[in-house]
Amino acid sequence: MSNANTPAGADGQAVAHATRQNALRKRSSGRLMIFGFLSPTLAILLFMVAYPIFSLIYYSFHNFSALRQSTMKPVGLGNYQYLLSDPELWERFIFTGKFVFICVSLQMLIGIFVGYQMQKNFRGRDVIFTILMMPMMLSPVVVGFLWRYMLNSEWGIINFLLSSVGIAKVDWLGQTNAALWAAAAADTWMWTPFIVLLATAAFRGIPETIYEAAEVDGASPAYRFFRITLPMSAPVLFIALILRLIDSFKQYDLFVALTGGGPGSSTQTVSFSVAKTAFSYFYTGEASALAVILLVIIIGLSMILVRHLTRMGEKY
Amino acid sequence: MTHARTSTIDLAGRWLVLGLLLVYTIYNVGPIFWLLLSSFKSRMDLFTMPPKLFFTPDLSGYQSVFGVGAAKDSASAIGVFDSLVNSVIVSVAGTSLAVFFGTLAGYVCSRFNFIGKGDFMFFVLSTRMLPPVAVLVFYHLMFARLGLADTRFGLILVSIFANVGLATWIMKGFFDGVPKEVEQIAIVNGYTRMYAFTRLVLPMVKGGIAATAGFCFIFAWNEFAFASILTTTQAKTLPVKISAASGATGIEWTQICAAGVVLIIPVLIFFYLIRKHLLMGMTFGVLGRS
Amino acid sequence: MEHAFRKRLWTSAAAVSAVLAVSTASAHATDLTFVWHAGTCADALVDIAKDYPDKSVNIVPALVPYGPQWHDKIASEFAIQGDAFDFAMWDSQSTAEFAQHAVKLNDIFDKSDYLKADIFPPASLSRYGEFPDGSGEFFGLPANQDAYGLTYRKDLFEDPKEMEAFKAKYGRDLAVPQTYQEARDVAEFFTRPDQGLYGWAQMGGRDYDFATTASNSYLWSFGGELYNPDTMEVKGYLDSPASVDGVQAYVDMFKFGPPGSANWGFDEVNTAIQQGQVAMAMQWFYFNGSNADPKVSKFADKVGFAVLPGAVGRDGKFRRQFSVGGQGMGINKYSKKLPELTKFMEWYFQPEQQKRYAAVCQTGLKTVLESPDWQNLNSYNRQFSTALQYLNDYWHLPEYPVLLDELQQEISSAAAGTKTVQEALSAAAAKNERTLERAGYEIKRGDSTPEVPDQMISPVGVDAVVPVE
Repeated sequence: MSNANTPAGADGQAVAHATRQNALRKRSSGRLMIFGFLSPTLAILLFMVAYPIFSLIYYSFHNFSALRQSTMKPVGLGNYQYLLSDPELWERFIFTGKFVFICVSLQMLIGIFVGYQMQKNFRGRDVIFTILMMPMMLSPVVVGFLWRYMLNSEWGIINFLLSSVGIAKVDWLGQTNAALWAAAAADTWMWTPFIVLLATAAFRGIPETIYEAAEVDGASPAYRFFRITLPMSAPVLFIALILRLIDSFKQYDLFVALTGGGPGSSTQTVSFSVAKTAFSYFYTGEASALAVILLVIIIGLSMILVRHLTRMGEKY
Repeated sequence: MTHARTSTIDLAGRWLVLGLLLVYTIYNVGPIFWLLLSSFKSRMDLFTMPPKLFFTPDLSGYQSVFGVGAAKDSASAIGVFDSLVNSVIVSVAGTSLAVFFGTLAGYVCSRFNFIGKGDFMFFVLSTRMLPPVAVLVFYHLMFARLGLADTRFGLILVSIFANVGLATWIMKGFFDGVPKEVEQIAIVNGYTRMYAFTRLVLPMVKGGIAATAGFCFIFAWNEFAFASILTTTQAKTLPVKISAASGATGIEWTQICAAGVVLIIPVLIFFYLIRKHLLMGMTFGVLGRS
Repeated sequence: MEHAFRKRLWTSAAAVSAVLAVSTASAHATDLTFVWHAGTCADALVDIAKDYPDKSVNIVPALVPYGPQWHDKIASEFAIQGDAFDFAMWDSQSTAEFAQHAVKLNDIFDKSDYLKADIFPPASLSRYGEFPDGSGEFFGLPANQDAYGLTYRKDLFEDPKEMEAFKAKYGRDLAVPQTYQEARDVAEFFTRPDQGLYGWAQMGGRDYDFATTASNSYLWSFGGELYNPDTMEVKGYLDSPASVDGVQAYVDMFKFGPPGSANWGFDEVNTAIQQGQVAMAMQWFYFNGSNADPKVSKFADKVGFAVLPGAVGRDGKFRRQFSVGGQGMGINKYSKKLPELTKFMEWYFQPEQQKRYAAVCQTGLKTVLESPDWQNLNSYNRQFSTALQYLNDYWHLPEYPVLLDELQQEISSAAAGTKTVQEALSAAAAKNERTLERAGYEIKRGDSTPEVPDQMISPVGVDAVVPVE
């Protein structure tokens, strides 16, 4: 910063005065700016969140159906007690946990791998990149039907390809474990591009000079990747992980399309149970309680991760 | 000797990487190709074994989606254009406003330290954690009371709500990538902070705004859960409209595949236009600058 | 200056109100919106409505996909007591759940000159609209009837070589089965995986009501019951020996279907019929039109349609009972257009309109159902009118969606083989009773439970097999 930045022709005192004035104006204009810039977002979020969240919590303590409103009755913790003592709910949670774990790990692994390759400059990269993003752009309603069509045990392309290389047909949608992997494959197909996009951007954000410095030290490619690329892009990858974790926890329409939750209710995720309780049964109170439980878990997990992220952000 | 061995390993590694990439590409593009192919197959061809790669194209799926040709007189043909208009208005308005608000909030979060900043950021993110099905009933009740049920305005509100959090987080990242000195210099030169923001900083994150808009557009355009319950006829969007694809013989697979192809086109065009910006600075600013 | 401004303001205000006036004048047309799943029948309704003489009335479809979204859409509009739709078609079982939000049709019957209860067959009106059962209060009209039926490959059944081989193996003629015991043999006979041919296809999917509409048909035919409507007992009825017999027969039939068919829904069953992969299939009459359509079905000219079999139960009695399908037409209580809607329905349920409708879907109007024109219209209408007398339905209780989901879950487990039939039905009975108790019903436990519950509740068993045609 040089003298060129000070207004020409002003003497020292005037400059000092102006700076003080500026500082004052800056502080108040800063406050105004914070308020002015945050308020639209805050207003719309509060408007959209306040009533539903209040209702969610309020009705979770009631025996209430929005379809039969006259039968409302306060039940205290009754809904929570009923839900948490239901052994089948725990099975739903375990299944959801398995699904989230498989999806998030697969998507992170593949996403990071592909992203690492896509960060390099090569001919036609932009076109290929756009094409690779396509699964994410597809309407989720269509994704469910598309995979159900492809996974059909009798007429699906996947079993056809398997049997043409001599592998026995798999009953993808009729068995719990096969269905779990089938759904994970569909979810991974759809959302890996999201990770690819974030990971590529993160990798490209690492200054070339850091790699050059490592090159001088004769670092191997593996060293470069594990000691420079990964740690330096970890914060972004963490955000990607959080977003995918949140979304795969909420996943249910894929299971609606693929298995309907069967066989039994073995492929019914917790969100699926919420949807059923809220809309098929119209047990609004019980659905609210279940949603609160789910929300507490998602918020808890995210909080741990976000705190981790903030610490990482401070480090770099 | 050592050198030769490393290069063999190198070579093998490169082939392995290439092979894995190929597998991923097939996994990634295969279903899209199958969708495109299936959108031209009649029901009879869709389920023929072994699957046909060559067949007489059947346009009935596309006719049903647009309500033209053989599907002109079907009940589903009524209001296709209206729902296309609704979809465009809702997703464009929702995306623009979400990006606009998210840009403002993201800037403040990037540049200022204020009390409760961390809480604000987490609150913004947490709006994404709410499973829509859990609260849809309450939204429906609220919207009915406010006269927002089955209106575009109501859906635009939903769209902003669903995306402004993501927009705030991504835009904060882009602003973090712009050196703070930009404003400092401007202020020292006697310009206001507002001036520095609108005239200096914003042009520097143009690409980021495009990328954020791309993400928000995907979610806004494909939004289904809210629209399916909150709209009936007036504000029905295209994804909801064409999801009603059950017919004389069960599920209208051809129509669903055609709908998938049609629905992806606007998003694809949008993404192709912003592809360069997408990779420019989507780093949430927690990294070093390039 | 100010004056001029004010003048301009007034002129523009006048212009705006003129525009508004014009638009309200043109908006004087009444939109009557209905919710239904998309498909042939909704198309037919809209098509017929185009000829409605009063041109100021538009019939506007608000279509949804078949399945849960359809129920959810109607239910959530009722929850806000909204009038986004004026009438809707809903499943017969949903009448109980929706009755408190629907117009009681007795009031319309009283006032209308044409729209009376007696223009519909009493059983149909009761099935699609009465709540509570036997109360004489109606909330839905039989707008679209449906029944479970049997679809079979005529070319296989009429092939002399097959007939001979069957007779040699089973000692009787190859014919459309009249009992599930016979159906089992025929299905076994035609199950030839090496030729890509299977004996039997039926639904077993977890979605909506897929598995249970099929399994209930067996359960009732073997003399089982879902519950005792008088005492509200489920235990001892749903898991009675006769019920277990029925569901076991249902589960066993998957052996004669393509591998992995235990999770099929209606679409997969149709595909199997259309691709000629099965000799017999249990399917809704609703789909017969498309299964006999050469544009869709490779075996369009080779499929035959029949009434589903019955069964000889453990008490030696023969029963033929299967699930009712189709939808009743109900009116939204919160609609502000009841007079216009009533007028439209008076027109729509005239024989002339219903005859048009019956050409593609199944009407509930008595005069059309009884006319020889209609009965001879295609290869299955006659069977359909026969089938109507064997229909049975789920619980007609507001808790129906919960009870259904619990039963679906257990039947799906039994079909997939993760539970035995006895385990599944006992679990379902326990869950159903818990749900009824939570909803405030009092379960009056009887001293003993019947082996064949049908004997206690409106018995339908007869001593000998009664074949149809």
